[in-house]
Amino acid sequence: MQIRQLPETLINQIAAGEVIERPAAAVKELVENAIDAGATRIDILIREGGASLITVQDDGIGMTADELSLAVERHATSKLPDDNLVHIAALGFRGEALPSIGAVSRLTLTSRPRDAKNADAAAITVDGGKKSKPAPAAHPAGTRVEIRDLFYATPARLKFLKTPRAEAQAVRDIVTRLAMAYPDISFSLTHDDKSVLELPAADRLERLQQIMGRDFAENALPIAAERDGIRLSGFAALPTLNRGTSQYQYFFVNGRPVRDKLTVGAVRGAYADFLSHDRHPMLCLFLDIPPELVDVNVHPAKSEVRFQDTALVRGLIVGGLKHAIAAAGHRASTTVAEQTLQSFRAPAPSSAVSRWDGEYRQRPPSYKNLKGMAGAAYTGSYYASNLALDDAPATRNFAQDAPAASAPEQQNLSFPLGAAVAQVHETYIVAQTADGLVLVDQHAAHERLVYEKMKQDLASGGIARQSLLLPEIVEMDAPAAERLLGRKEELEELGLMIESFGPGAIAVQEVPALLGASDIQQLVRDLADDIAAYGQTVALKEKLEGICGTIACHGSVRSGRRLTSSEMNALLRQMEATPHSGQCNHGRPTYVELKLHDIEKLFGRK
Amino acid sequence: MKFTIDRADLLRALNHVHSVVERRNTIPILANVCLKAEKDALALTTTDMDLEIIESVAAEVSQPGATTVPAHTLYDIVRKLPDGSTVELSGAASDTTLQVKSGKSTFRLGCLAVEDFPRMGADEKFAYSFSIPAADLRMLVDRTRFAISNEETRYYLNGIYLHAAESDGVAVLRAVATDGHRLARFEMPLPDGAKDIPGVIIPRKAINEMRKLIDEAGDAIEIGLSENRLRFSFDHIALTTKLIDGTFPDYDRVIPKNNDKVLEVNPAVFASAVDRVSTISSEKSRAVKLTLGGKTMTLSANSPDSGSASEEIEVRFSAQPMEIGFNSAYLMDVAKQIEGEGCRISLSDPASPTIIQDVADASSLYVLMPMRV
Repeated sequence: MQIRQLPETLINQIAAGEVIERPAAAVKELVENAIDAGATRIDILIREGGASLITVQDDGIGMTADELSLAVERHATSKLPDDNLVHIAALGFRGEALPSIGAVSRLTLTSRPRDAKNADAAAITVDGGKKSKPAPAAHPAGTRVEIRDLFYATPARLKFLKTPRAEAQAVRDIVTRLAMAYPDISFSLTHDDKSVLELPAADRLERLQQIMGRDFAENALPIAAERDGIRLSGFAALPTLNRGTSQYQYFFVNGRPVRDKLTVGAVRGAYADFLSHDRHPMLCLFLDIPPELVDVNVHPAKSEVRFQDTALVRGLIVGGLKHAIAAAGHRASTTVAEQTLQSFRAPAPSSAVSRWDGEYRQRPPSYKNLKGMAGAAYTGSYYASNLALDDAPATRNFAQDAPAASAPEQQNLSFPLGAAVAQVHETYIVAQTADGLVLVDQHAAHERLVYEKMKQDLASGGIARQSLLLPEIVEMDAPAAERLLGRKEELEELGLMIESFGPGAIAVQEVPALLGASDIQQLVRDLADDIAAYGQTVALKEKLEGICGTIACHGSVRSGRRLTSSEMNALLRQMEATPHSGQCNHGRPTYVELKLHDIEKLFGRK
Repeated sequence: MKFTIDRADLLRALNHVHSVVERRNTIPILANVCLKAEKDALALTTTDMDLEIIESVAAEVSQPGATTVPAHTLYDIVRKLPDGSTVELSGAASDTTLQVKSGKSTFRLGCLAVEDFPRMGADEKFAYSFSIPAADLRMLVDRTRFAISNEETRYYLNGIYLHAAESDGVAVLRAVATDGHRLARFEMPLPDGAKDIPGVIIPRKAINEMRKLIDEAGDAIEIGLSENRLRFSFDHIALTTKLIDGTFPDYDRVIPKNNDKVLEVNPAVFASAVDRVSTISSEKSRAVKLTLGGKTMTLSANSPDSGSASEEIEVRFSAQPMEIGFNSAYLMDVAKQIEGEGCRISLSDPASPTIIQDVADASSLYVLMPMRV
């Protein structure tokens, strides 16, 4: 067989294989085109998951009949005005989408330029790669792209389509991602005549609320950071609002949705302190970076990017997130309070009544009996009405104390976490605030306080390093060793001194004294893996902080310890003053706040 | 099998052998002690497959035989029997229980077949054998044991390295232990017959069991050694252990030869000062800083949490003033080993290994890595 030049149609079909692998990819290309065309409203309609019909209609700048004809040719685009791949300002630029789609489907483009001079609408069809002549048509300003029978020209691809439901879900994902990046554009998505998305133009947080839910919007911390012309913006959730997957983490680079291990790693690093490793924060971050500092031309679908200065970008993300979390201080997310309220509501009224009948009514309401009952919450509690008296360890019980109940001190009420009223089950502190009540898990809260203090000490005092008599030789593959050595200084700050020991081996000379006699080989290998996977040295920090965490756990007030009211108030005041005290080291809340309004709702008063 | 034995004799023997038996076992028979009665003696054997202790005690055997019973249970029973009582153990070969009777108490213990009890080649030939005075062996263990590593990944450091060496032209038997942070070396005149022994690593558990037994030994202890076993025996007790199959690091390389800044201090004074000052240092790192200049050493500790401490002690030091940090626990471990009036600390610089020795006794030497504080 002789080598020959492939026909144009076949070339386009091959290109389509790369760019358009499923209906969602076609939708992405078309919506990006619409965004690049300056649309303010984009309506998407699909049928059977996009296999039989996709239409994308926008009110953008539109095209003339001549442009229409050129638009469906390969490598024809209006988006590289200066023929320069370094300054890519538009979402698209490869000039591949329309011809690729045209090669594998029945494509119809109808457009009318916004520009009044050539205000004639025209339409063009491409059927399996065969282009028709542009014909006059009726259409408002903007462009409408209609794709029928996607992949009919490539049956193999058609067979690999998933169910219409799954394909529609993929389309939805793409549209939501793009919609997050462009809140000022209205989006609508209709699948088989059912409206799936209806997103009116909004500001960024409103748009995120439309997509990620009210929980996110209420607990989102605005992120704003800028360094060397790179700007990071967006919203990140409080650590207490976390999920089991990283699916709810969205990243956009210059408005382009991106999945990148660098960003995933940076987020993990920023939240490492607040979440256990299997929990992931919800967030949505936008990176605006001068086009010459980023290469978006890595992947045909543009879902990966390459940064010129990865360390700078990582630093910006970690720094921005940490700063925002620190600024949030002791806040815990409102979802915590909602969950609490729901659990209050959980028992059906009937069972509550029968419980009342069965258990409480039979007993005279004496406190002695209450104490003996399972679930009686009042055993160890006492009231903070009289500070001087309560400073002695509280040995009195509820029965003696109850009549003394009165309003807690007025001055404490104005604090965010209020004034301690009582301790229940010798585990939780109940505090009254100006407009609600706060429940604090004393152990979790104190553990966090001790931990934060230890970390502060660690940071200010430097890390003591134990030199090794016999350097520990860790063998690994040469690139991993290189990567570790590249981070030599960073590791030294954390107390780990390493040196090269020939290719593929590292000699550990000094280790953080805090680690004691732990498995250094494993630690160093974990570090190498971390650097490969996330580009940062999480493992060592995690290990050190893990040890701090354990010490903190042992060094903190346990559940079951009775606290005096001044101790409780002191704990509350410390929590207010300590950053990150809203969650324990594992991302669980340390306190729950119930607003008076919520309590009133519980009793049906509102 | 049937025999009678003094409670005190049985208790003493069980006391020696029962601690080899692990509290939790995946192989049930390893929880048992093997009892073998013949002629006028009872032989007790326990093993964890790496370590075996056999002890025989005098008993009135009316019917020879052998069986195995749970070691800890038997030990607890005998321990709780009154002083001065005698114990009768009996059971037919076909029985699944062994009867333990003393005074008015009777116990029946479940037995496992003696044929299944693992033996560590009791008849193994040892290529080398020599004897060591009990006092020397006790010293050898005590001076080095504290430095054994607990870190399982460096298994070759989980024991004491015993080998023949030459020190200043004198042939010596040398024991070395290190955990990578510090090192302890002890040497004694080479016993007859130990000239060609291979270097072996004796595991920690065997060392600890051995140490308990040494106190009971009269004068000399017999050591038998092969490539992978060591036997330690005296009187009627024999302990056989597998050796750690690994290469002990070239420890001699890390013992500095040119530490010229020499400091002399009373070890007891030093240890108690370190102990006091380290009260302040943080829980995990336990760092103590030594500042040397002229006739005083200032020990100090700092913790952002609990404050600071310092104490001055008198020393003999003639070199340039310097500062060096150590893990206080390591310093105390070493200082405790020094029985004489003076302890010599040879330093080089704050980042290099330091040597500590008893001024009056050259048999032991300790190397300590400083801490950077």
